[in-house]
Amino acid sequence: MEVLKTAFDFSDFPRIDIWVASAVAVALLVFPTLPHSSFAMATMIQFLMFSVYGMGWNTIGGYGGQVDLGKAQYVGIGAYTTAVMMIRWDVPFWFSLPIGMGLAVGWSFIIGYPLFRLRGHYFAIATIATSLVLKDVFESWSFIGGARGLKIPLKGEMPNFLYVQFREDYYYYYIMLGFFFIGLFYINWFRHSRMGFQLRSIKDNEEVARSLGIDSHWAKIKAYAVATAFVAAVGSFHACYNFNIEPEDVMSLDLSVLIALMAMLGGAGSLFGPIIGAAILVPMKNYLGAWFGARAGLAGLDLIIYATIIMLIAAFEPRGIWGLITRLRERRSN
Amino acid sequence: MALLKVKSLDMTFGGLHANRDISFEVADGELLGLIGPNGAGKSTLFNCMAGLHAPTSGEIYFRDRNVTCLKPYQMARLGLARTFQVYVATGDLNVLENVMVGSFLRTRSRVKAKAKAEGLLEKMGLAGLERARVANLPVAAQKRVVMATALATDPVLLLLDEVAAGLNPSEIEQMMEVIRWVHGDLRITVILIEHVMELVMNLSRRVLVLDSGRLIAEGEPKQIVRRPEVIKAYLGERYVSEHFVGAS
Repeated sequence: MEVLKTAFDFSDFPRIDIWVASAVAVALLVFPTLPHSSFAMATMIQFLMFSVYGMGWNTIGGYGGQVDLGKAQYVGIGAYTTAVMMIRWDVPFWFSLPIGMGLAVGWSFIIGYPLFRLRGHYFAIATIATSLVLKDVFESWSFIGGARGLKIPLKGEMPNFLYVQFREDYYYYYIMLGFFFIGLFYINWFRHSRMGFQLRSIKDNEEVARSLGIDSHWAKIKAYAVATAFVAAVGSFHACYNFNIEPEDVMSLDLSVLIALMAMLGGAGSLFGPIIGAAILVPMKNYLGAWFGARAGLAGLDLIIYATIIMLIAAFEPRGIWGLITRLRERRSN
Repeated sequence: MALLKVKSLDMTFGGLHANRDISFEVADGELLGLIGPNGAGKSTLFNCMAGLHAPTSGEIYFRDRNVTCLKPYQMARLGLARTFQVYVATGDLNVLENVMVGSFLRTRSRVKAKAKAEGLLEKMGLAGLERARVANLPVAAQKRVVMATALATDPVLLLLDEVAAGLNPSEIEQMMEVIRWVHGDLRITVILIEHVMELVMNLSRRVLVLDSGRLIAEGEPKQIVRRPEVIKAYLGERYVSEHFVGAS
């Protein structure tokens, strides 16, 4: 009971934030009924996916302050579990989803246990390495399609809710929107929970946190598992939404960096940060690609922009856009 | 009954011998002072007791249990709380949330943790500052937040590392009141590291003196400051020979 109450308790935000958030929520709910291009629809679905990726990353990376640049390996585990189970054994999405999340979380314990012996940059580098190693393994594993990836065969009848196969994109949109709201309320509970407080204390000063009875190593592993469950769930969805998955697509370093970058741009360690970050970066990424075509990728334009953003965040406001808003408010109230 | 027993504890960092053969006991309900010049090994001794360092040799017993190699979080769970000498919370936790981190050790419920933290803040005279940032508070208030956080873990033994450093006389007076309340009303055993002699003299019945890693004296505060070896440790050999000729 207290858990539910906490999940829906936004009382620490100023009233204006709650109004804005409600307006955005309504806009998201009615978006498919408004006139839109299919490109805009695809962008919106991606925005929701990256928001949930970012929310997950935010538990360990934002509240816990452990910069994790290897989330793509868990996206891959989620996506591949769903795809392989659907192709080989005809298992519906809703059954393979928890299995994919479970496998990813299991793997995250194996990876997290040694990795959290490392601190700071060393931890970040190690997460990149583990993610890339797993990608290489997937690329050379013929059972799951190797580097060419997998193609999920279409069922005859559509819409198919059990296997999540639809002709119209708005079905996907609403399923992802469901994930989005569950994620948002979960994180709202998380940041007030004991685990949330423990992580924030560790981020502030690990030695002090340990003296207050917090097993910091175990707390980080747990939060890492939570983050993993989030990204694996979206990975499973990704497999059904795209039909086609390959390691380069769902497990690339680009994806890992984008997940972290969106949360950091919006504001690591804040509830709405990852959503703000995704709302800026996903449309930018897609529309830049559309405007410049293949040349954008060739010229490395996207990478230049990401790098610029990272440098700006690091130099001016490590807490991202949300930090900027907070700072302006504090200045005005003083 | 001895709450804490330290038996011939040695702690070396490379070539540096920070604690040498230290043995003492702390009785349940005692308020013990730990003094000594800078670099005497007081904080190292605290760190060994709190589990931050595993001692090179020797043993520590807490409530008749060998806790020599336990980790800091395990010591906290057993009922040992500590404050750090130089620490200001700079993260995104506000005053109330900082104290709640402590109270979350004994409960999972956010409501209970919050109620306990608010109660402690009020007792500490910090009511109204719940939403402030710790780093923005005056030093005296920061020290109280740190103490409230430690108390929120429900300790039986509290280690205070220079809680009066940097305070003015009236603030020291208030800090003494807080420590008296912790010791007298909450019945928590306290060990203080302190350079502010006034505080040690007024509060503790027994004082341990450390110098160059050794325990050089032990006894009542009024008498101990007259002992030549203690004065020598603080003021140097020459001062003693000039002022105490024939005395020792």
